[in-house]
Amino acid sequence: MSPERTESFRRLAWTTAGLTAALGPHLLRLEPWIPAFVLGVAAWRLVAERRGWRLPSTLVRGLIALAVTVGVFLSYATITGLDGGTALLALMSALKLLETRGPRDYTVLIFIGWFLCLASFLYAQDVATAAWVLPTVWLLAAALLRVTLRGRGGPPPRPFRTTGAMLLKAAPLALVLFIFFPRFAGSFWGAPSSERGQTGLTEEMSPGAISDLTQNDVVAFRVRFEGDQPPPPRERYWRALTLNQFDGYTWRRSDSQAYFVPEVTHLGTPVEYTVTMEPTAQQMLFALDMVASWTPGLAHKSWDFSLRARRPINAVLRYDVRSHPEYQAGLELILSIENLSLQLPPGRNPRTLELANRMRAAAGSDADYLQSVLSLFREQEFRYTLAPPGLARDSVDDFLFNTRQGFCGHYASAFTMMARAVGIPARVVAGYQGGDWNPLGGYLIVRQSHAHAWSEVWLPKRGWTRVDPTAAVAPERVERGLEASFAGSEALSGALRRDSEFLWQAGMLWDNLNAEWNDWVVQFDRETQESVLSELGFDDPDWRAFAMALAVGLGIAVGILVLWLALELRPRATDPAAAAYRRFQNRLARRGIERAAAEAPRDFAQRVRRLRPDLALRALAITETYLRLRYGPAPAANDLRLLRALVTRFRP
Amino acid sequence: MHDWIRQRQGPDRDAVTLQRGRIYILPTGLGAAFGVMLVAMLLGSLNYGNNLGLALSFLLAALGVVAMHACHRNLEQLIARPAGTEPSFAGQYAVFRIALANPGRLPRSDLEAAAGATTPPVHVAAAGEAALELRLPTRRRGSLILERVEIATRYPYGLFRAWAVLHPGMTCLVYPCPAANAPPPPRHAGLAGGGAARRGEDDFAGLRNYHPGDPPKHIAWKAYARADELLIKEFSGDAEATPVFDLAEAPGAELEARLAVLARWIVDAHARGLAFGLRLPGEEIPPAPGDAQRARCLAALARFDAPAPDVA
Repeated sequence: MSPERTESFRRLAWTTAGLTAALGPHLLRLEPWIPAFVLGVAAWRLVAERRGWRLPSTLVRGLIALAVTVGVFLSYATITGLDGGTALLALMSALKLLETRGPRDYTVLIFIGWFLCLASFLYAQDVATAAWVLPTVWLLAAALLRVTLRGRGGPPPRPFRTTGAMLLKAAPLALVLFIFFPRFAGSFWGAPSSERGQTGLTEEMSPGAISDLTQNDVVAFRVRFEGDQPPPPRERYWRALTLNQFDGYTWRRSDSQAYFVPEVTHLGTPVEYTVTMEPTAQQMLFALDMVASWTPGLAHKSWDFSLRARRPINAVLRYDVRSHPEYQAGLELILSIENLSLQLPPGRNPRTLELANRMRAAAGSDADYLQSVLSLFREQEFRYTLAPPGLARDSVDDFLFNTRQGFCGHYASAFTMMARAVGIPARVVAGYQGGDWNPLGGYLIVRQSHAHAWSEVWLPKRGWTRVDPTAAVAPERVERGLEASFAGSEALSGALRRDSEFLWQAGMLWDNLNAEWNDWVVQFDRETQESVLSELGFDDPDWRAFAMALAVGLGIAVGILVLWLALELRPRATDPAAAAYRRFQNRLARRGIERAAAEAPRDFAQRVRRLRPDLALRALAITETYLRLRYGPAPAANDLRLLRALVTRFRP
Repeated sequence: MHDWIRQRQGPDRDAVTLQRGRIYILPTGLGAAFGVMLVAMLLGSLNYGNNLGLALSFLLAALGVVAMHACHRNLEQLIARPAGTEPSFAGQYAVFRIALANPGRLPRSDLEAAAGATTPPVHVAAAGEAALELRLPTRRRGSLILERVEIATRYPYGLFRAWAVLHPGMTCLVYPCPAANAPPPPRHAGLAGGGAARRGEDDFAGLRNYHPGDPPKHIAWKAYARADELLIKEFSGDAEATPVFDLAEAPGAELEARLAVLARWIVDAHARGLAFGLRLPGEEIPPAPGDAQRARCLAALARFDAPAPDVA
């Protein structure tokens, strides 16, 4: 290949490498045909460059552009939004690759690569994504350096290394901007639409829905407690939402917002804590029962005591809550809530209705009846299992009279229905129970596998009362977590096991890193900025404090940069041996014996001997030591010290 | 602007060290596009409340700032020195050489000189040197002055262009463009002094056709009488051997046309390896062969009664 073609190929190769790396985080997210198309085009383009094939004509490119746009529309039903936009960006890069000729085209591709990096942060801001994107940004910048390089002769700069050094110099400046650039609440053109398929709790519960989650170690949220003291496991009931509408098989959330919030009397000592939750794309927030106060403006407490955020949670969110584990909630029951809490689908689960009425007749009171239902679960052949069999359309009948194997959702569903069947207002509460304490970070990790469902019944003079029927069947589930209740019997996924102490420790360390990352990077907000400014001595920081901190910070960062660059420009520090020899020369020069520019050191020494025989020996010693240091095969370790001492004592 | 810089810096006849104060910098088109991209990224990240997006925007912005300083520094402390010119014929390209020395331990990349035209960029190693060859088109005979030249760089990333302005005042001679169809030099031409002329008439070499301007005393009258044809007697050791081209004998209406004819004669004679001389009013160059003689004669033509120099 000609030098021009080689040069052109290198430019293309650098750009393609950067672009492929930028596409990395999107590979699994995009419809498979898109990365396949982009990577295919990139590979073809590289071969075409090597072989000198002709690029497709404008007409062909136009047809391809039309085809892929239609393809995106068919795959995503839109060409805007995060998914459609990312897909289009990726495809645009492929189309641009088909018409690359000069450096300008490559720079467009590199800019697209940077936008793809930004898009991957819009999807996920976790440590892994950041760890992938940072080198990608580096590679893309190196590609930009490479494609804009035109010079000949002399050693060309090494793009990756040079760019790395410059990113290092850019880091302080970027850090200052990150810390002090003011964050705004809210957005300019509307909150992003959520398009992520989330695993986690949803607003309905069918039999088996929650047991699917138990295989999922993904973190739902993390909690730091005031005083670093978590409440005991039996109080760790994290309410997310209540499910009130039952169709005989599935429980659903009631949409109505019209109910007022029943009065709650908070008792006992409160628990204060901060929740950092992963995005759910839903409005539910998680709080311990019974929530008393929370970060203002973020959410409201709905009629069923669950917290609802104003908007779907599409990014990591942090909020503060105060809860009272002891409480009396909703002593008065208004009619609309009573009706909702007694709703049952007519004609469904008839055997359960019949059983409930029989048991209620046998029991003295509602409370006794509820106890007898729990006893039923406890004393008869009910099994708590992670892999319950599927249930028929009348799910509660099938569960109570046939399978008798279920997970928390089955018990909560059956119990709530049994309560409603005899006129006791009741509902299913979905949320999380328990959590893993991370001793390294001092916080509680609540995973999807901690998802749980329990019941809440309304009793006169007691109000809404939590009843966890699962605790009747498997009390260790509540006290000691999922692993304890299935010790050795059923397969649990990795993070739930504790057989390897080392792996467990490593897992906790990794989680701690993620938690700190969430706190200090992802959740670095106005509030955190203000606390940083307070640390710096700004009391009650206002916009002036922000401006000043930003200006001073930038000044310092730019100062460091300028100094750093200037230091690199400084000529190389001279060899210490040469410096000592120069001192020797200077001393002779003051006595009128100057070394000529072309005079070799030994010749000079000879001349000194002729002119000043008294200095001859010392001058010779200095010259020989110097020559040994500079040109000798293996200078002795103390030669430099010797030379310096000789020169110091040389007084002509 | 140019005048202001000129006034500020003064002329630069010798080697110039590019100090901070004489380096200017502005973003390029690519730099502006990069800025637009950063603003878009920043707005997007702010809108989505995306801290990592913000971090990405800030990192790239900071990289841009570093690139700006690095671009500026890429010129700093370089030593630029005029390193001669290569004269050209009018209408062709004059070459101005500028030597760049890098005294530091940092290699410099993508350095170019620009004055209307731009040289191909060069890299200069640490403690290394490189020469930039600026090729500028010439219009007419005389000289071309390189009044101002920019030593410029877009390294790294091409986001910024830093440049330093030099006023080297380099002058490049512009020879007259040799006439395309000039008559051959007159045969008697170049009787460089009487002695040479006499020696030339000693050895009769043959006859050739008469050209206007041939001296009447060389006409072969006897042959004319026989054949009714004007022929000229040629002598060996005559014009063939050591012609001295004389402006007075070059045909043409204007001075420029006659100089062009002289240039043609000189170039042809040099190409044939002959010795030649040149006689201009007030200047006489004795005959000699070789490249130096050619350059000397052409330079005399370029300088003769020269028009005001062009300024590149």
